[in-house]
Amino acid sequence: MTRGASLARAGILFLAAAGLALATLASLFLGGKVTGPGEVLAVLTGAANPYLEAVLDARIDRTLMGVLCGSALAVSGVIIQGITRNPLGDPGLLGVTVGSAAAVVSVSAVTGAGIGGRSVWVAFAGALVTVVIVYAVGARSASGSVVSLLLTGAVVSAVLTAYIQAMILTNPGIFDSFRFWVIGSLSGRDAEVAAAIAPALIAGMLLALLLAPSLNNLALGEDVATSLGTPVALVRAAGILASALLAAAATAAVGPIAFVGLVVPHLTHSIIGADHRWRVPVAAILGAALLVVADIIGRIAARPEEIMVGIVTALVGAPFLLFAVRKGWAAR
Amino acid sequence: MGRAVSTVIRVGRLAFPVHRPAVLFCLVTTAALVLVSALTLTLGELGIPLAEIPSALSGGAEGTSAFVLERLRGPRLATAIIAGALLGISGALFQTVTGNPLGSPDVIGLGAGAGAGVAVISLVFPLIPSSIGAVLGAGLATVLVYVCTGRGFRSPARTIIAGIAVAALSYAITQYVVSTHLRDAASQLAAYLVGSLNAVNAQDVVVTGIALGVILPAAIAFSRDVSMLEMGDDTASGVGIDPNRTRTIAVILSVFAAGASVAAAGPVSFVALTAPQIARRVIGTSHVSIVPAALTGALVLAVADLAAQQVPFVEGLPVGVLTLGVGGIYLGYLLVREHSKGRL
Repeated sequence: MTRGASLARAGILFLAAAGLALATLASLFLGGKVTGPGEVLAVLTGAANPYLEAVLDARIDRTLMGVLCGSALAVSGVIIQGITRNPLGDPGLLGVTVGSAAAVVSVSAVTGAGIGGRSVWVAFAGALVTVVIVYAVGARSASGSVVSLLLTGAVVSAVLTAYIQAMILTNPGIFDSFRFWVIGSLSGRDAEVAAAIAPALIAGMLLALLLAPSLNNLALGEDVATSLGTPVALVRAAGILASALLAAAATAAVGPIAFVGLVVPHLTHSIIGADHRWRVPVAAILGAALLVVADIIGRIAARPEEIMVGIVTALVGAPFLLFAVRKGWAAR
Repeated sequence: MGRAVSTVIRVGRLAFPVHRPAVLFCLVTTAALVLVSALTLTLGELGIPLAEIPSALSGGAEGTSAFVLERLRGPRLATAIIAGALLGISGALFQTVTGNPLGSPDVIGLGAGAGAGVAVISLVFPLIPSSIGAVLGAGLATVLVYVCTGRGFRSPARTIIAGIAVAALSYAITQYVVSTHLRDAASQLAAYLVGSLNAVNAQDVVVTGIALGVILPAAIAFSRDVSMLEMGDDTASGVGIDPNRTRTIAVILSVFAAGASVAAAGPVSFVALTAPQIARRVIGTSHVSIVPAALTGALVLAVADLAAQQVPFVEGLPVGVLTLGVGGIYLGYLLVREHSKGRL
């Protein structure tokens, strides 16, 4: 690769980071109550009234959640699309996040515990089982087509959603805490949750970065990758692990959110190209920015009501999927 | 059909070819439906004693029995049967048009669209009847899928993925409307999101009954044309059928049938997918069989609702949760089967 191209990519990375910084700032200022820079500064210096402090505290928490979970979902999407060589891979559409959610709800129904980051390993178990099932069933098809994987994901999602609904509706104790979480919401999660999901998140990100060069080889086809010395089966297994870790971290914190992992990898691809070594970090940044912006939209679009972020991502992401179908990415 | 399984019934100058296994299937299904109905009315704490049922049905019930029959279980049972039949018809028509069991109203997002229509109309514009919202939502979802595939319903792969997108979109709209307008009513919430018969009343019976009364004869009258489509467009044209017009009418009928059902029972999943498949499988025919599909749909929904009322563990759940779970597993089976045939 030429030095110039590398520089251009670094520039894009920088621009994306600047965009994320802007989104983060906007997330602190905008909401049910719009705060000015003066007020934010006053809070930071400890000179503001307690009400304002509480508002800003909540916004800092949900912005942090948006950054962490957005990047996790986006990178999970990049990895899934890479290992399945399926342009429509997304942890939400393939049922992985719903699998996490089902595991978390089951454990909570038994132990009576509420939602918290501590359920991240339970969520991981659920995600791993789901992704293996979907992959095993969906990739069985001789043609290995896009649609079978997606439809398998939809089927698994449907069955697990029924299960989650049944659990929630028959356990009044967990109904209230899970009612909004199952749609996907950033509100009410504090830094403690962020700390609890951090190990899974970091492990997943590191694994994703490690896998990036192998995913580049895999993109050329299984045979070529093998001849280039890439252990295809190992890369797939590690990819499944990484995407499950990331999807589980996000789901344990904010609930099953779809479409971030679909939209961001494509956005990333169109601005920085097919090299996974660049796609992973750029997708992480763009995913964070996207989820934060979606949350801002949810806060201000229907004031004084709030639209949960999972609804916003679906309203934006589903038309994107329709566009993808129209463009013929689904083949045939 | 060459194995002499058909008999021709003649009434005056009219002749109806009758497929004997289909007739047998219809008789058995009807008997099962009667049995399930009797169980629905008699079981449980509030059940009407079996001996009282004949007199209760002819209007001779008093006190608790009358209340249970006229207010609680009667309307619920009737809605389950009628809505199930409508879903069966909707599925049979749609699966024939798309030429694929997976191309059914549930997978296309038609039910979810109707559900979103009901949620928007009944919660945001309460003055407009919710059935209008259901039909509008179902129609919009269908058009959206049709347009976005770029080649109508002819490509199963594109149709299915567009359907998944439209379903997600509809579900998000429903979630939004429900979360802003219904804060604490868990049972109502479930009805809008997954479909439930817990809160149906006599009015629902009347509305769905009228819809079935119009749609069933229309679908039967039309089923010969639709089944010609299965022979391919050229063959259909050869016998004087306009394939595109036939497809359009079938889809419109299907949308109305699903819409009417969703308006009363909510977006109950997978009955439209499974009922026509079960009927076809058991009868062993490749034809569109409207009446068997309708009867199977009615039986499936009535059985599911009986379970939702009486079976421990699932008792009290919205019926849509049961059909979503069981139907989802069936869809998974279909999927694996389609794979092994290499059709996807």
